[in-house]
Amino acid sequence: MAAVNGNATSSDWDDRYYHIDQILDRPGPRTDPSFQAGDDVKKFLRNKCKILVIGAGGLGCEILANLALSGFKDIHVIDMDTIDISNLNRQFLFRPKDVGKPKAIVAAEFIMNRVPGVKVTPYFGKIQDKDEDYYMQFNIIVCGLDSVEARRWINATLVNMVDDDNPESLKPLIDGGTEGFKGQARVILPQLTSCYECSLDMLNKPTAFPICTIANTPRLPEHCIEWASVLEWPRVYGDKRLDTDDPEHINWLYNIALKRAKEFKIEGVTWSLTQGVVKNIIPAIASTNAIIAASCCNEAFKIATSAAAYLNNYFMLIGTDGVYSYTFEHERRKDCPVCGGESLDITVGKEWTVERLIEMLVEKEDIQIKRPSLSTSKKQIYFQAPPQLEQATRPNLEMKVSELLEDGDEITVTSSTLPFNLSLRIKYT
Amino acid sequence: MNQSGSQSIEQATTAIQAQPDSKTRRYDRQLRLWAASGQAALESSRILVLSASATSTSILKNLVLPGIGHFTILDPGTVTGADAGNNFFLNGFSSIGKSRAKEALPLLKELNDSVDGEAAVKSVEEILGSAEGRQWVKSFSLVITHNLPQTPLDALSKLLWEELEDPPLIVVRSAGFLADFYIQFREQCIIESHDETAPPSLRLTKPFPALQEWATNLDISNIDPTEHAHIPFIVLLIKEADQWRSEHNGSLPKTYDEKKEFKKHIRSRMVKMDEENFEEAENQAFRMWSEAKIPSDIAALFDLEPLQQPISSSSTSQPNGVTKSPHKLNPEFHALLQALHKFVTSPDGPGCLPLSASLPDMKTDTTSYVKLQTIYKDWAAVELAKFKEILKAEYPDLTIDKAVVDSFVKHAHQIKVLRGKRFGSWEEDKTAVAQALDSYPQETATRLALNALSTLLHHNPDPTSITAEALKTEVQSQVGQGVELPSSLDDAVGELARAPTADLPNTAAFVGGMIAQEAIKMITKQYVPVNGYCVVDLVESKTGIIAN
Repeated sequence: MAAVNGNATSSDWDDRYYHIDQILDRPGPRTDPSFQAGDDVKKFLRNKCKILVIGAGGLGCEILANLALSGFKDIHVIDMDTIDISNLNRQFLFRPKDVGKPKAIVAAEFIMNRVPGVKVTPYFGKIQDKDEDYYMQFNIIVCGLDSVEARRWINATLVNMVDDDNPESLKPLIDGGTEGFKGQARVILPQLTSCYECSLDMLNKPTAFPICTIANTPRLPEHCIEWASVLEWPRVYGDKRLDTDDPEHINWLYNIALKRAKEFKIEGVTWSLTQGVVKNIIPAIASTNAIIAASCCNEAFKIATSAAAYLNNYFMLIGTDGVYSYTFEHERRKDCPVCGGESLDITVGKEWTVERLIEMLVEKEDIQIKRPSLSTSKKQIYFQAPPQLEQATRPNLEMKVSELLEDGDEITVTSSTLPFNLSLRIKYT
Repeated sequence: MNQSGSQSIEQATTAIQAQPDSKTRRYDRQLRLWAASGQAALESSRILVLSASATSTSILKNLVLPGIGHFTILDPGTVTGADAGNNFFLNGFSSIGKSRAKEALPLLKELNDSVDGEAAVKSVEEILGSAEGRQWVKSFSLVITHNLPQTPLDALSKLLWEELEDPPLIVVRSAGFLADFYIQFREQCIIESHDETAPPSLRLTKPFPALQEWATNLDISNIDPTEHAHIPFIVLLIKEADQWRSEHNGSLPKTYDEKKEFKKHIRSRMVKMDEENFEEAENQAFRMWSEAKIPSDIAALFDLEPLQQPISSSSTSQPNGVTKSPHKLNPEFHALLQALHKFVTSPDGPGCLPLSASLPDMKTDTTSYVKLQTIYKDWAAVELAKFKEILKAEYPDLTIDKAVVDSFVKHAHQIKVLRGKRFGSWEEDKTAVAQALDSYPQETATRLALNALSTLLHHNPDPTSITAEALKTEVQSQVGQGVELPSSLDDAVGELARAPTADLPNTAAFVGGMIAQEAIKMITKQYVPVNGYCVVDLVESKTGIIAN
């Protein structure tokens, strides 16, 4: 066997896998008969299995450490972020001196130093930079992301990759997420189990405040903060992009929001709330990330080794009031735009304009598509880009849907943020 | 506060508002959960962890990161090849042969400069063998053990049950894919339980004077349409209730039909199709059915006698105990609780929990909302002052931090008290075990199997001596020969026989996260810790609770 990193004495000492090998040397009462206890499974895990970790943040740091200790030796990690001071309360592979450096690179180095013989290959960039050939090289993919958009992208990419004639094309996707004392871990076998898109309606929708409230009748400190970021920033700075990671920008918003709050006698605008609202900050602690990352890695280990049955397919944990968890099978959606075969029926009022339909697609819990473009096989209805096409189709926004489409017509919805097309069948009320 | 509004606006905008200091920025994501008060509690905590196993260091990692004050690792052992392979907080091969506690210490400490840590290379037997050692153990705010053998565990759990103020003990056990834990504590008094299920009453059925006055003076049919569409639903409901009472002998809607009728009345007062405030009033009408009652779980707390140290028990632990007068546990919290009882039963009080100043958002204009907020705040201040008067009259000698009193009144609708039991008392209670076998067969089977494993390894530490049969026999002898055991016991003993001494990295990390969550809840006295046995099965990716 070739030691990937370090030398044989420092990476393969006696009893190194004493704990893990108790599991790999013999089956348990619930282990599937296909489990090949002993050297074969160890060789696969330690010499052959290639695993990808997406995200090197709160969950990612934990996932990398667990996989390395579990005996995975060829680990790849992707993350597009750099380290911020607010990461240090949980992202335990980073130190104050690392602030500003790429997470993927610092995390990979840390793991390789701490766990000899493990090779971690970092990529500092976006998952969208990589193509199917890249994802095809892995046996398992573990996701510790905080972005819904990125999860939808990787989920759709892996579902699209499935080729019935090539069993290797089915890549198990293990996904974790946390918020405060709560979290969930799930196993997705593309085309076999429910996928990320199937469960989109389980997400908590971020609170959106109506523009008229923000502009005319602010009541909460949040309304004042939204006024500063949504209305005042573009008015004052034009096209200049608001960078929510720039403390100067947050400062400006804070002061503007505070001024408006004073004007309306609204209390409670603070720096921390301002930052929380504009960055949509989700509370995060090391312990919850540890639980969820461990659950994800436990499933990765079980899938790689067959030492025990893997999770079918959803584990949910709530730690606010005692410990409550729920393990269940999330059902596939036949009309899932990613893995279901059927098109989705949507009910539209006869009087609805195309613009209203678009608003509905953005809002609807099981769709949630940002900046959708609409077309049928025969005509273009509305395109967000390129600019010429947008301009050409813009007049349609004012038109009634019923003037453009018949009952039962199918429309295709696309968006630059999603690697799939959504098929909708229009039904009129 | 500045007298002039314009001046303070100017001040606010010209003052350079620096972003928070680096400590606040570092802890930002957790301060949003437990705030400065929870953080201060963490920072003054001192935690003792017995063993530097993979599970123990995982627990510590999750406590050092959020910033506990101090930790001590008690471990007499040296690092083996097996330890170096499964523990992230050892330096791999180069740690082998060195002290486990000392090797783990710097790797944990470097996670957070503000945390103080110590390695104690001693056995628990040595510590528990001396009066000084026993006192030392009691000086911590929390003690955590992982896979501590039965004899010292029994001694430790008894030691920490001697006096009321003894620190809580978390007992963690794991093998392979299975684990369980238990928190031994006397009483956990929680002001901020963060329970979102029962929001505070808005007093809609018992409006305070300023609120009632608003509703009474409102002439709904005689205002301009814009204003009409912005009357807060709170005022609409009170107005409607007044009308209803006058037509129904002073009572509010009770039956389904009456409730439907009430909602219809609200709807009928709309002057335009889409007045959102009226729609909101209709949706929120359920608040009128039983709004201002004292929640039953809180009323139950009023009968709770504070725990008291029996003279006999304290005299066994200290020679001069006879002269000590009996004292109570958590006296401040119980004083606040009794003051609350007096407040709600006081004839000139509201007859319900004190008003919370917080108001949900609603469909209204800025002026009405701010006005409403102000009258709620003002009345909440009146009731708070009344509460403080009662507290002072009842407990003249007790000084309680103002922030604690304010928080207690503010969170009165979500306070909780947990009473714990001594570790091991469950096993002694054969009825409890039988009931648990019936109600939670899988969890109980796992717990009993872990008990049996602990006993067998205690008699013969050689893991090869552990078989499923031996474990089953031991379980049967512990619960009694006549007791029928569930089929899931075969799964549990089989899994333990497979890996009797395996501290798997993923199980360690999973349990490490759970114990840290519980420790944080115990220390901050926020959120609600487990009261009972928590059982983890990572074959099936499940957790369960055998309730105390």
